[in-house]
Amino acid sequence: MAAEKGRAAKGGAAKGTASKGGKADIVHVDFAFKRELAEKIEGNLASFCYQCGACVGDCPAATYTDDFNPRMIMLKVLYGLGEELIGSESLLWECTNCYNCAERCPQDVKPVEVIISMKNMMADRGIYPEGVEKVINTFETTGRTVPMSSAVDKQRARFGLPPLPPVPMEEIQALIGPAPATGEE
Amino acid sequence: MERFAFFPGCLVPARYPAMEFAIRQSLLKLGIEIVDLEGTSCCPDPIYFKSKDKLSWLSVAARNLCLAEKTGVDLFTNCSGCTATLSEAWHLLHEDEELREKVNRRLAKIGMEWKGTSKVRHIATLVRDFVGYEKISETVVRPLDGLQVAIHYGCHLLKPSNIMKVDDPNDPSMMEDLVRALGADPVRHRKWYLCCGKACTDEDLPSNMMRDLLTTVRDEQAELLCLICPTCFGQFDHGQMRIAKLFEEDFSTPPVYYFQLLALAQGEPYENLGFERQRFKPECLKRFEIQEPVEEATS
Ligand code: SF4
Ligand code: SF4
Repeated sequence: MAAEKGRAAKGGAAKGTASKGGKADIVHVDFAFKRELAEKIEGNLASFCYQCGACVGDCPAATYTDDFNPRMIMLKVLYGLGEELIGSESLLWECTNCYNCAERCPQDVKPVEVIISMKNMMADRGIYPEGVEKVINTFETTGRTVPMSSAVDKQRARFGLPPLPPVPMEEIQALIGPAPATGEE
Repeated sequence: MERFAFFPGCLVPARYPAMEFAIRQSLLKLGIEIVDLEGTSCCPDPIYFKSKDKLSWLSVAARNLCLAEKTGVDLFTNCSGCTATLSEAWHLLHEDEELREKVNRRLAKIGMEWKGTSKVRHIATLVRDFVGYEKISETVVRPLDGLQVAIHYGCHLLKPSNIMKVDDPNDPSMMEDLVRALGADPVRHRKWYLCCGKACTDEDLPSNMMRDLLTTVRDEQAELLCLICPTCFGQFDHGQMRIAKLFEEDFSTPPVYYFQLLALAQGEPYENLGFERQRFKPECLKRFEIQEPVEEATS
């Protein structure tokens, strides 16, 4: 609970939105962000969040960090304040993808899927943590996340296994290109 | 013999071929025939590539599903990450007609169409549902009597539960039962439900979580940590060594992939199972080796 308070304070401080007292109570919702997010698969689910906080208790990222809280993240999405979440130092990468939030949510929000959809928005803007981009590049050039090599095949031979077969890359490239930003399907 | 298409993914065939070897040995003994798939790619991974573009991720996953459909049988995976991608893809394509059409338009470019005729299973549920615990026991020639085995379920075998529909995500029992079928004693440590942390790019978070998890495994004095996912395995092998150094603590419970344990219990010699490549070697298993009948000296 203490951590929750800490994060709430941090969220409140950002941009001064939704602060207590007087005119500052007014929240300006940025619908452009929400509409862009809704274009992503299951990106629209945050709309059904009623802020109960059931997703927080079993969230390992909330337990083990001071700044991550799936309820607060959904709140920012509801307010259209998502740009705060998708910068180059984005806290979204703290999510472990464990799906506990999706298990707990009474509204079928699947916070984890909303988070992944926001990562898609980051990718559209060319923002990736370094290690992440490396894995993506390996996949896009070899069709695998662990590329084939003679060392791999030698190890396989030790267990009587045949060499790894090549991946038909022209088929993979036909499915993944072109960049989603062009809106082409 | 029941037949199933084998979706190998990336990690097991390239980094842990001993796991693939064990799978092929043990399924044969369980009466399951493996149909090898041609031209599979990465599932693609549910963390990194999915974070780039969900629609492309879904399209490549659908292609892998189509390869299984061509064989006319259901597919099984050996990795919880592949299970997550392929099961979720199957579910999304099944539930969302608009999405299915979008993906099928992409697939049409390579002459494929997703129809949904091949379902997806994790190999652990495959043996539970199509072989059964009793039949698994019947293939055991070296019961692992008294072996204390801590269990790591990991996340994506069980969750999201409405898609996986495998076991109670809050109180699962299938891995305990699978371990019991080998004659060993499953141990549920207090932090059994924690995630391996591999998908998280933060540095401190996974380390602290892993330390908590390993502490409860050590408290239970388990001899092994049994798991069913190669990604979790990496976290508990290399990763465990890193955590031990980082916190200057004695963490040294060897992780073992369930199907290697099964193969050993079915009679495969310890030295054939590639354990020497692990950071933490499960040498406790050597006590179950059968003494080969000594040949009569004919002098
Ligand atoms: S998947 Fe959900 S519960 Fe798990 S770390 Fe991410 S936000 Fe938290
Ligand atoms: S559990 Fe669901 S409805 Fe409740 S705060 Fe979390 S996302 Fe919103």
